[in-house]
Amino acid sequence: MTVLAVRDLNVWFDLPGGRAVHAVRGASFTVNEGERLGIVGESGCGKSTTALAILGLLPSSASVAGEVLLDGKNILGASEATMRRSRWREVAMVFQGSMNALNPVKTVGAQIVEPMMVHGTAQGHAARARAGELLEMVGIPAGTTARYPHELSGGMRQRVCLAMALACEPRVLLADEPTTALDVIVQAQVLQLLIDLSTQRQLALVLITHDLPVVAQVCHRAAVMYAGEMVERASTDALASDPRHPYTRMLWNTVPDLYGDHEVVSIPGSPPRLDTGSAGCPFFPRCDSGFDRCTRDNPVLLPVGDRHDASCHLNTDEGS
Amino acid sequence: MRTRYILRRLVAAAVTAFVAVTLNFLLFRAVPGTAVSNLSAVPDASPALRDALIREFGLDRPKWEQYVLYMRELAQGNLGISYDNRQPVAANLATALGNSLPMVALGVVFALILATVTAVLAAWKRRTVVDYASTGAAIVFSSFPTHWLALMLLIMFAGILPSSGTSDPFLINPSFWERTWDRLSHMALPSLTLALSLYGGLAVIFRSALLETLGEDYVLTAKAKGLSDWGVLRKHALRNAMLPTTTMIGLYLAFMVTGAILVETVFSWPGVGRVIFQAVLDRDYPMLQGAFLMLTLSVVVMNLVVDLLYFKLDPRIAA
Amino acid sequence: MSIVLADPDAPVAAGTDRPGRTGKRIIWERPSAVLGAAILFLFMVVALAGPWLQPYPVPQQVGPVYGPPSARHLLGLDDVGGDVVSLLIRGSRVSLLIGFAAMAVAMVVGTSVGVASGYFGGRTDAVLMRLTDYFLVIPYLPLMIVIAAIWGPSLDHIILVIGLLQWRWTARIVRAQVKSIRERVYVRRALALGAGHGRTVVRHVLPQLGPLLVSIGILSVANAIFAETALAFLGLSDPTAISWGGMIHNAFQRAAISSGAWWAVVPPGVCVTLVIAGCYLLGQSIEESLNPRLRVAHLSGRRFRIRPTVGDHPVPPVESQ
Repeated sequence: MTVLAVRDLNVWFDLPGGRAVHAVRGASFTVNEGERLGIVGESGCGKSTTALAILGLLPSSASVAGEVLLDGKNILGASEATMRRSRWREVAMVFQGSMNALNPVKTVGAQIVEPMMVHGTAQGHAARARAGELLEMVGIPAGTTARYPHELSGGMRQRVCLAMALACEPRVLLADEPTTALDVIVQAQVLQLLIDLSTQRQLALVLITHDLPVVAQVCHRAAVMYAGEMVERASTDALASDPRHPYTRMLWNTVPDLYGDHEVVSIPGSPPRLDTGSAGCPFFPRCDSGFDRCTRDNPVLLPVGDRHDASCHLNTDEGS
Repeated sequence: MRTRYILRRLVAAAVTAFVAVTLNFLLFRAVPGTAVSNLSAVPDASPALRDALIREFGLDRPKWEQYVLYMRELAQGNLGISYDNRQPVAANLATALGNSLPMVALGVVFALILATVTAVLAAWKRRTVVDYASTGAAIVFSSFPTHWLALMLLIMFAGILPSSGTSDPFLINPSFWERTWDRLSHMALPSLTLALSLYGGLAVIFRSALLETLGEDYVLTAKAKGLSDWGVLRKHALRNAMLPTTTMIGLYLAFMVTGAILVETVFSWPGVGRVIFQAVLDRDYPMLQGAFLMLTLSVVVMNLVVDLLYFKLDPRIAA
Repeated sequence: MSIVLADPDAPVAAGTDRPGRTGKRIIWERPSAVLGAAILFLFMVVALAGPWLQPYPVPQQVGPVYGPPSARHLLGLDDVGGDVVSLLIRGSRVSLLIGFAAMAVAMVVGTSVGVASGYFGGRTDAVLMRLTDYFLVIPYLPLMIVIAAIWGPSLDHIILVIGLLQWRWTARIVRAQVKSIRERVYVRRALALGAGHGRTVVRHVLPQLGPLLVSIGILSVANAIFAETALAFLGLSDPTAISWGGMIHNAFQRAAISSGAWWAVVPPGVCVTLVIAGCYLLGQSIEESLNPRLRVAHLSGRRFRIRPTVGDHPVPPVESQ
């Protein structure tokens, strides 16, 4: 059952002087109930922007095109009133840097209860009790509801944000870098929590991160984003065993091998500017397998296997 | 821990008050020319009269003795006798305060309301016409010299609202409503002037704080949770923006005193401001000293209140 | 009236280490800064070119008392029959002079205290700040009134009084900035290499303070002009000096309003307002360019836009290829 489908999403941001940054270029993906999808890429590749676009939280300097289908209905560009109803109830988000996502002058409990009251899913005493249950579920004592954010550690705040996101029992959870800045042990706990929640509650999870191994661990499928475009989309098994885009392959190579003697490798160069268009594949300058067609034509996302798409000329006849 | 913070603040305020009182004393004893030179400028003043006056007001004793005497009298609520009307300074001040307080309070409340509305509109609809217009108006109003603004309002409302005094002396047996209306209509212009003069600076500060708050992550989270714009403003932005604004209000309170003096002079309002001015002209030192003391102490108290308010609003303090 | 800068005790943003270059560019991009600067420039020109611009000599009588505006006297005549336009031009000299002179006094004292306090920290800081606190508690207009009344009405006294009472908040703001500068890498390096305090202050601290001082200075001028107006109104300024404040005072004392002579009251106040507003706009812009604030706003009057699609392809914005 496809719960969320994003089709050809494009986002531009206005720059002073009349130009625009094309931050997301034709992103498409689907997530089913109980499925965990990863969106992987470097900082600035457009992954967070995609998530904000789904929730309709882009600033006034943004313009969008494409479709975001929630249960088959397009919510991209729906009125603010309609969006408000879906926010948190259908699609909830755990933001990057949850440290600051909590209001410092309100108690944790008040902030978890808030969406319940706004959407009417629970009131008063019942809401407060449920807040306590949610905290327990993410591994924090229920009494923490009376605390203020600054009294909690980073890991606890992250888990509070997770509990808060689940307050109205959403069907889709967007988790933007939920484990960055957490120590490894807490990271593992949070990731396991995400897996359990999605399995037990048929929660569709979109895990946004730059960390490919994490995605391999947690998600069923993943999409790799580069410079605003999705360059490869497949099951995580396929991405690991048979990457069909040089970027994906090179990303795997950058994962430090704890047991081997390999040198630490990185991908040379930096991502392209997004405020100017250019001919050819955006990854070409950093690619280790580029050839002359790559400078002329921008490759498109094409099927290369069973539910496996990649956008690279290497997959065409010319490239082999 | 939090009670310790409150105690520390109270002690600090008490110390400041004490120092202020002492400075007050020194200030008025240090003025050139003895305090009685004005009084003894009566035509038939003899040296004997001067001496008698000096003895009466205790001005022949060494300074530190005067200080001790002053503090002792102060503890008993005795602020001395006014040179001008030979009444206790404390009584004079009480009357003046009774006149000032309602007028100033009304003005301040109105200023707070105006400032909040302006700031919210400007920050919410920033970079739109609403923002530019309301912020521009705030800047212009805060640039008007207070006394000049008072004169402008006088000109505009001449004939419609009374322009001096607290009440009409010619009312005969007024009913409760007539009397109240009379009082209010006399208070209208002075309070309005004060309000218009005060609100501008406050509005700009509050708008700044709101803009800052509206860029914070928790505001985005609140919106993501499904709150309406107004809901986000009310429950998150406003509350948090009040924190930096509150600290600024402390600085602002001093301006309130300034404004009050000028307004009272223009509208002949017999309040504390006017009393001070009159006392300066008459060289009525006990009055001046008493009034200054009252003003300084009230600023100390207001600062303390602001501190405590901030403390209540922000749970991060003294954690 | 209230020209207040940001919270004087707030930590100042680390900002750029060379605010001069980028700062200047940013300032001139802001319309409010340009407007403020234009107003101030205009008045300064008028003040300096005064004698040549004045249509009539002042305070000579050139017509009837409170003569209404006419072709020859665009803003009418005042309480002794002098031409209001000429009085305004003449008055600008005194008012601006007092404003800048008082500002100089306030800046010198305030900066010295602020630098000493912020730079040396510790005991010096504590003592100086306590002192400032106590002086801040005394409401400044009453104090100014008392001092002015006792000292006697003369322009020098007025300037000193106004200046000396402004140092308090200048000191606090400077102190906060100096504290932050002191902790910067290059200052600590200089000290570690053995540079003396004097040299460090002059070569490293003061240049960084430059823009902030300019901003404070401009706002100081505004406060000073307001103070002069207030003191003049209360009759505590030099009665022989023609200033905008003095004009308002005369109008009030000599029943301009009941005579219906609004032209004797309104113009000087308008001039004062314009100068103060100009100072505020410029000073605030400079201060904002030093402390760039977040430009993000999660709530705004407008919403993100949906691009129309032509066929299958969305219409991209112009110039985005």
